[in-house]
Amino acid sequence: MNPFQYTSPRAADSAVSLVADHGRFFAGGIDVLGEMKEYIASPHVLVNVKDLAGTRDITPGKPWTIGANVTIAEIQDHPELKRVFPGLQQAAAEVGSPQIRNVATVGGNLAQHSRCWYYRHRDIQCLKRGGSTCYAREGENKYHSLFTGNPCISPVVSNLAIALAALDAKVIVRRGKDEVALTIPELYAKAWDNPEAHNSLGPTDLILRVQIADEGRTSVYKQISEKASFDWALVSCAAAAKVDGHKLSKVRVVLGAVSPVPYQVQAAHEFLEGKEVNDDLAAHAAEIVLKDAVPLDHNGYKVPIARALIRRTLNQLVG
Amino acid sequence: MRSWPEKMAVVGESTKRVDTPAKVTGEARYASDVQPNGWLYGMIFRSRWPAARVTRVNVEKARKMPGIKAAIVEREGERTVRFYGEELAAVAGVSKQACLDALRAIEIDATPLPFVVKEETAKSPDSPRVWPDTPNLADPNIREKGDVDKAFASAAAVVEGFFTTPVQLHHPLETHGNTISVTNDGVTCWASTQGIFSVREGLASYLDMSQEKVRVITDYMGGGFGSKFGPGPHGGLAARLSQAAGAPVKLMLTRFDQALAVGNRPSSFQKIRLGADAEGKLVAFDMDSFGTAGIGAGAASAGGGGGAGFPAPYIYTVPNIRVKQAVVAINAGQSCAFRAPGHPIASFGMESIMDELAVKLKMDPVDLRVKNDPGKIRQREYALGAERFGWKQKYKPPGSSPGPVKVGVGCAGATWGGGGRGSHAEAQINPDGSVEVRCGTQDLGTGSRTMVGVVAAEVFGLKPEQITIRIGDTLYPPSGASGGSTTAASVCPAIFDTCTNALQKLQQTTGVADARGANWVAACKKLGVNPLTAHGEWQEGLSSSGVGGVQFAEVEVDTETGFVKVRKVLCVQDCGLVVNKLTTETLINGGVIMGLGYALYEERVMDPTTGLVLNPNFETYKLPNFADVPDIEVVLMEMPERGVIGVGEPCTIPTASAIANAVANALGVRVPSLPITPARVLAALGKAVKPGGSV
Repeated sequence: MNPFQYTSPRAADSAVSLVADHGRFFAGGIDVLGEMKEYIASPHVLVNVKDLAGTRDITPGKPWTIGANVTIAEIQDHPELKRVFPGLQQAAAEVGSPQIRNVATVGGNLAQHSRCWYYRHRDIQCLKRGGSTCYAREGENKYHSLFTGNPCISPVVSNLAIALAALDAKVIVRRGKDEVALTIPELYAKAWDNPEAHNSLGPTDLILRVQIADEGRTSVYKQISEKASFDWALVSCAAAAKVDGHKLSKVRVVLGAVSPVPYQVQAAHEFLEGKEVNDDLAAHAAEIVLKDAVPLDHNGYKVPIARALIRRTLNQLVG
Repeated sequence: MRSWPEKMAVVGESTKRVDTPAKVTGEARYASDVQPNGWLYGMIFRSRWPAARVTRVNVEKARKMPGIKAAIVEREGERTVRFYGEELAAVAGVSKQACLDALRAIEIDATPLPFVVKEETAKSPDSPRVWPDTPNLADPNIREKGDVDKAFASAAAVVEGFFTTPVQLHHPLETHGNTISVTNDGVTCWASTQGIFSVREGLASYLDMSQEKVRVITDYMGGGFGSKFGPGPHGGLAARLSQAAGAPVKLMLTRFDQALAVGNRPSSFQKIRLGADAEGKLVAFDMDSFGTAGIGAGAASAGGGGGAGFPAPYIYTVPNIRVKQAVVAINAGQSCAFRAPGHPIASFGMESIMDELAVKLKMDPVDLRVKNDPGKIRQREYALGAERFGWKQKYKPPGSSPGPVKVGVGCAGATWGGGGRGSHAEAQINPDGSVEVRCGTQDLGTGSRTMVGVVAAEVFGLKPEQITIRIGDTLYPPSGASGGSTTAASVCPAIFDTCTNALQKLQQTTGVADARGANWVAACKKLGVNPLTAHGEWQEGLSSSGVGGVQFAEVEVDTETGFVKVRKVLCVQDCGLVVNKLTTETLINGGVIMGLGYALYEERVMDPTTGLVLNPNFETYKLPNFADVPDIEVVLMEMPERGVIGVGEPCTIPTASAIANAVANALGVRVPSLPITPARVLAALGKAVKPGGSV
């Protein structure tokens, strides 16, 4: 990696102003160090944000708040959170390996960059890295998107984002002098249109915490990978709803690893609203979600996986 | 001719590795742990092009970077590089970062050339050529026996299939590399190698130095699997860097490097037709296959060819055979020996088509195998394994298990040599009763060191931990490279002969009739001041060659998501005289796990547009984790009368075939390509949506 400075501010103000000089925020380091070692990123300064006050706690309440520096393992192991937001806990449990979960943070998981093997290759200057071509489109795209609004087809891979989208979470971001509350769709919207974007965060935008309202909804997260553990999702799916018998309300179904954003379809939510779930209904919802999929040479298998996961998560909500 | 005693106390028992404490405490020193005075890091600059005409490699700026003590060009003058990762230059410096910075200061003038990295494209006459003077697709090797066409015409059942296997990368957990000190007095090389004497020969020849001036040490090493015989290009470069810098150089490859240039298992594309009579007796076999060894075979190919050919119709006897096998060159790192070279490839194609035939004939796959397999030992193993596995209860017609998650079973057989010869050893008995046994073999992590102790302890009536075992040094009596499952069958007889000679000498010298066990210390004391030494070597009668082995697998396959979970693998392995039961079983566990990786996860992915390896890391070159490993049951079919036979390779051969057959049995359709990923399962089921297809 290239040389860089390292600094540990105690206040968000300082962190934001320090990072402005070609810097990157640093918490768990899982993502940014990988990019630096491959010379994908060469920040002049790494701004350690782990010492910022109030960013390390999980606080139950209305809403719940989860600090940006809470580790994935802490989410996985929080008994109360597991009861209230089981889908979020399930999503955390599927992140990386125990070693990674012990250091990786909520903020880093949400802000992590593409895992596309073209993007991550030291000797490939792809579209996402400012080159002119998305090599995956005509190349090896088995891990890539079924839905996208731009020429880059690398998908979002944050597990937490998928579960948090289903839970209508808000991400509190320090932007300039302000704190703004972004929905998960807002947090990733830019990646839908812009091939160079991984999310909507500007270079000095800093995730401070996540807020989730406990609306009495239950939630489920499932993923399918090539291996049983320590592997990225080929497709992931989170669902959340208020459940009354088999009847659902306030329904959300979100797919991961199939689009640059956590993928959800409003028509599917409306279709499910107020209905009693059975397998046929769930399958119909899956058809609505997957209607606009554009399979490429090697990723058409993601369609049946997505269909199965939508059915299974919905069935499990009422199961 | 020597023979093993009828009754033995240590040999055949389960002996814990003598070096476990050293390994778990970190005291064990691998090639990368050695820190001779003034040592430097070494690193390699590699081609960023899959093919290019390189007109200049300038290391002058790199040499002047802070902390850099040497910078060398791999080869002077203009050259053509033929794969991404080919070695072009190297640097040595005081830190990893200094070397990394220096690599980025190396200047290259190169003109990119057309290239091809996919086998099926490379076959076409219009494809860019990897070698200018020869077509990529070499003339096939053709073998014919009997009248194939006539036999097919009269066959009661004919099945056809097209099976493919990927390039499997060598990823031993210890990467390739050496720590080398080259001075005017000679060379000391701490090598991660399967052959200390082959590294010595390679380095001496590379440096044009007398072999007696080159000492190679391998105290511990973390796996080689066929890819670590000679010093390798990296070893040669490290030696030259050490010369240039006047300091020892440690050059260990990175995980990224491993994916490019250390050798690999060739791919295969096998079109097979198999015919049988109504009773299931095979009558005709026709194969047309090709595969790639990258730019060519031969990287460290000692211990087994790295070419794209393989045995066919593998273990079965067929009266009428036509086999056409070709190798196709692509712009990618070349193949080399890889645990049972050729055999897992051969097994996958043949055992797959055998199960297709069984389905067509409505025969039990085990019965079909026993009927056509001439191996008497394997026939017994099938009977034993089927009983233990519960095959009769578990085998159901393909695709018949209810529900979306289907269960299936499969089996497959293997053959291997595993014989040995040529090892030498010496024993030194000291007057205080301590014993040193020295042998120039190396322990790849399989437990060879412990095995030496077990045999010596057996002969002397002592415990293995009472023996001081010295191996892994070219100062000791020579022993062969550890390839082809030959180490146990080479070394154990040599140790037995040596220790038997030493015991006789001790008894003659001291007049003690039986110096073993309880009499040991008293007998040794009679030696006075000077220790006693004795030599010995591999002898006939203590080892033999030729093993089989069969495996059974049980899987569950989620037909909605394509996910495959292997529940159980049973391995029945014939193994001659077992020296150490514990390490034999763990060796076989490792073979099965490696076969599992080949079955479900591993595949080098080349990008057709850029010509690069897309998965040069463990994130996307997938290997089994503990969570993926099934219940593995090892049944050793011991035949002590045959002496010691190596089993490191046969145990990995049939695993992928047995798993693939179990998946086909579960699904009712075959996934004809390894690795069997969710994508391939769903494609085989017709569920994957094609480009432009409606969802």
